[in-house]
Amino acid sequence: MTTGQRIFPWCVVLLAGVYLCVGALPAKDTGPYRYGQLGLLPVSADGRVKPLDTVARNSLMILSDKQTLRQDGASVPAIQWLTDVIARHEQADEYPVFRIDHPGVLSLLGLKQSDGKRFSFNRIMKHAQTVSEQVQQARQVKPKQRDPYQKHVLELSRQLNLYVQLGSMQRPYMAPPLEPSQQWQPFEQAFEAAKQGATPHPVVVHLSAAMSSYQQQNPERFNAEVAQYRRFIQHRMPHAGRKAAYEVFFNQFEPFYHATVLYVAAFLIACFSFLSYSSSPSGWSRSLGRGAVWLLWLTLGLHTLGLASRIYLQGRPPVTNLYSSAVFVGWGAVLMALILERMHKLGLGSITAAIVGFTTLIVAHNLAGDGDTMEMMQAVLDSNFWLSTHVVAITIGYSATFLAGFLAILYILLGVFTTVLKPDVRKQFGQMVYGVVCFALLFSFVGTVLGGIWADQSWGRFWGWDPKENGAVLIVLMNALILHARWGGVIRQRGMMVLAVGGNIVTSWSWFGTNMLGVGLHSYGFMESAVFWLLVFVASQGALMGVGMLPLRWWRSMSAEQGEAVSKNKTAVPAVSP
Amino acid sequence: MNQSGVKQWLGALASLKLTVALFAMAMFLIFAGTLAQVEQGIWTVMRQYFRSFIVWIDLQLFVPTGLFELPGRFPFPGGFIVGGLLLANLVAAHTLRFKLTPKRAGVVVLHAGVIVLLIGELVTALWAREGNMSIDEGSYASYTENIRQTELAIIDPADPKADRVVVVPQPLLQNTQGQIANPLLPFEVSVDRWMANSQLLDSRNAPPALAELTTLADQGLGKQLVAQPQPQISGVESQTVDAPSAYITLWQEGQKLGTWLVSLYIDDGQPVEIDGKIYTIGLRFKRTYKPYTVHLIDFKHDKFVGTDKPRNFSSLVRLVDPQQHEDREVLIYMNNPLRYRGETFYQSAFKPDNSGTVLQVVRNPGYVLPYIACILVALGMSMHFGLHLHRFVRRPAP
Repeated sequence: MTTGQRIFPWCVVLLAGVYLCVGALPAKDTGPYRYGQLGLLPVSADGRVKPLDTVARNSLMILSDKQTLRQDGASVPAIQWLTDVIARHEQADEYPVFRIDHPGVLSLLGLKQSDGKRFSFNRIMKHAQTVSEQVQQARQVKPKQRDPYQKHVLELSRQLNLYVQLGSMQRPYMAPPLEPSQQWQPFEQAFEAAKQGATPHPVVVHLSAAMSSYQQQNPERFNAEVAQYRRFIQHRMPHAGRKAAYEVFFNQFEPFYHATVLYVAAFLIACFSFLSYSSSPSGWSRSLGRGAVWLLWLTLGLHTLGLASRIYLQGRPPVTNLYSSAVFVGWGAVLMALILERMHKLGLGSITAAIVGFTTLIVAHNLAGDGDTMEMMQAVLDSNFWLSTHVVAITIGYSATFLAGFLAILYILLGVFTTVLKPDVRKQFGQMVYGVVCFALLFSFVGTVLGGIWADQSWGRFWGWDPKENGAVLIVLMNALILHARWGGVIRQRGMMVLAVGGNIVTSWSWFGTNMLGVGLHSYGFMESAVFWLLVFVASQGALMGVGMLPLRWWRSMSAEQGEAVSKNKTAVPAVSP
Repeated sequence: MNQSGVKQWLGALASLKLTVALFAMAMFLIFAGTLAQVEQGIWTVMRQYFRSFIVWIDLQLFVPTGLFELPGRFPFPGGFIVGGLLLANLVAAHTLRFKLTPKRAGVVVLHAGVIVLLIGELVTALWAREGNMSIDEGSYASYTENIRQTELAIIDPADPKADRVVVVPQPLLQNTQGQIANPLLPFEVSVDRWMANSQLLDSRNAPPALAELTTLADQGLGKQLVAQPQPQISGVESQTVDAPSAYITLWQEGQKLGTWLVSLYIDDGQPVEIDGKIYTIGLRFKRTYKPYTVHLIDFKHDKFVGTDKPRNFSSLVRLVDPQQHEDREVLIYMNNPLRYRGETFYQSAFKPDNSGTVLQVVRNPGYVLPYIACILVALGMSMHFGLHLHRFVRRPAP
């Protein structure tokens, strides 16, 4: 190995480290107002105590589908936007924050698609009367029977409501309990109580002063009042204060976003490594491979940090909703793929790890949708024991089934379109997929049965044949089918690969499809655009299975071998004949 | 049949190809049974698909809602056949190839677990009973109700100590063509019209399609109200249940006494005077009386601050059983049921305004089987795959 080859992996990790350090640096307030300090204050929204920064980001996300606002070419952080909404609403009402896509809703407001995507509160309020009439009409239709237009009208009405509640400080609940017997209250309520003569709550004293100084453009006073209130919080509820501060760091750092970027980088390096290895093994292919693996472990560390942060902030096991299941499925699959890479050292584990990590985080990002991804759990789900056993086991089952499926896709694509799928590579592929399917069967089975036991504990029915349960058992049956078919000689290596891709279809059905049926005790809610993407995914997997079943003479890897074998025979013949 | 013939049959039954085919069939059956739940109730689907020998599957199931019509249906083996064959296949395979070597031990243990699991589901299908017990705060209940079955109750309240009740179960109401008689009653009952799910309307506002029904009842509330048939409830999510109604006629010695409308919506029944004696007749959920009473002391329903999301439900009850000399307080809450006398009481729902609780009461003699199955299978799989993994990791380097 040359020196360059030796230091390459170190360079990769160093570069990624620098990239992460830059990302982790706290954002500085550029102007005279210290919005950052305001964002650190703990408040209560949707039943969870969280920093105001999170509320600002989630609200802006709900309204505009973005966490920052573009105003006059500059980017405005969410917390600054929220401060404007509260204290300078004449200004905030002109910000283009309401994202409206549906043509019917646009025309209702006298707008065209060419007018842009986001509109200001004032612009919408010009048609307040029309909107309110349409909302009334849409409400009369049962939720399941509403057409897309009606759903969008109601969505707009929810967004307007949220905006108004934020502006009038009815939401979030900003006044923390001062006595153990009390609960969080809206600021407005604490303010009214003070007006009636009660001792003013510190939040009323300081935040009222801060907001009016903000209105009067007095940054020194604003900063001083916010700082004083923060000191009060640190003194009275140090734990909530620390947690809120950590959550703000988590929001700004965005570990999952950086992990997505790094997975792409690792994918590229791993591909170069594998391709150069299979054309001619050299020092560079090994060095690249090592760089990819190291980078992936680092990225997995980051992924783990993100998961651990969520567990700390939420006080819950890792999987609590669809969003977090995607994050966890990715985490589990990357971990398993990296373990495979340690065992086989082919570079295939790295490629798969990078693809799965990237894909699942993208899926998670799209599932994050509206609002807080760390939402509170419905009463029946409020059980850390079952969330950490049944849900985790079943999610690892998803991870493993997907991992087997993605390895199988790689097998099929490399076999059909390249010549690198040589017999020894095929053998290792076979071992990997077989092992992962066994693992998947174990976890999906245990997870499914634990789910049944949970159901028995909570409503006395071990098995209810509801869609989510059925989906889970389909994964178990699929993995069992693959293994028994292999043992029984019904399929061989290639058949196992084709069926493993089928496992992707079954898993995606169980994970998402069953939620789209709109029935069942476990459903997370209907997701329209997700239906489209699920169908695309299923179709693509079906097509890949079709490719996998092409006659072997169309597989470039196999036909190349046969060619070689024939030419070997030819050379062998003269040696024997004389 | 000679011995080799038996062996041949057993061999075919034990084949892995059959296992694979059965897995594929089970997957298809479960998939279809999931799709069917979009339109039909879970209990109907369960009966038709999973607790049946043959199911007729509509082609329409496989077409997304509202896309196009696809008439036609085909038969498919139901849950009893697929599950039964899987069990037979598994037992045959182990009978034929049974060898208790360290290498096979894991497989044997895990398959034993699968057998226990399949038997557990069969036991549940055959013998498990579910009921609801709804209790108002400060009050008590001594019976459970089966919310998927109703009965016609004819109550003679003459004795101040205890009512004498004669009930006509739902299957009898649904299927009897002629008159239903009972020696305890001085009259007979016939069912003119049965509605599995219904709603009640004011006769004056009834649509013309119901014209015939508005004049059917000539006694009691049926003179003012009319029952309109409704499609049966689909899906488990909706929390609602079917509310049957029926038009019944009472007869005495061949003489018609009158026709009444009875309905689940008419809570307390209606008074009927026969031979100078007052009876109360009404349709109600099927009841099962218990030798003990459950008193509701307090029901709590907590929500997350500032939201409508339920955080916890709990019922503080007092269990009084004179036979067993039990008198104690129990707190029943989410994921924390009370187990008593082979039955389990779960916090299930609550009455409007939190004025009372609804407990789900389940008797399942096989409830412990899945627990055993889970342990066996997990153990067996870990043994088997662990052995493989161990051997794989220890393999000689290439």
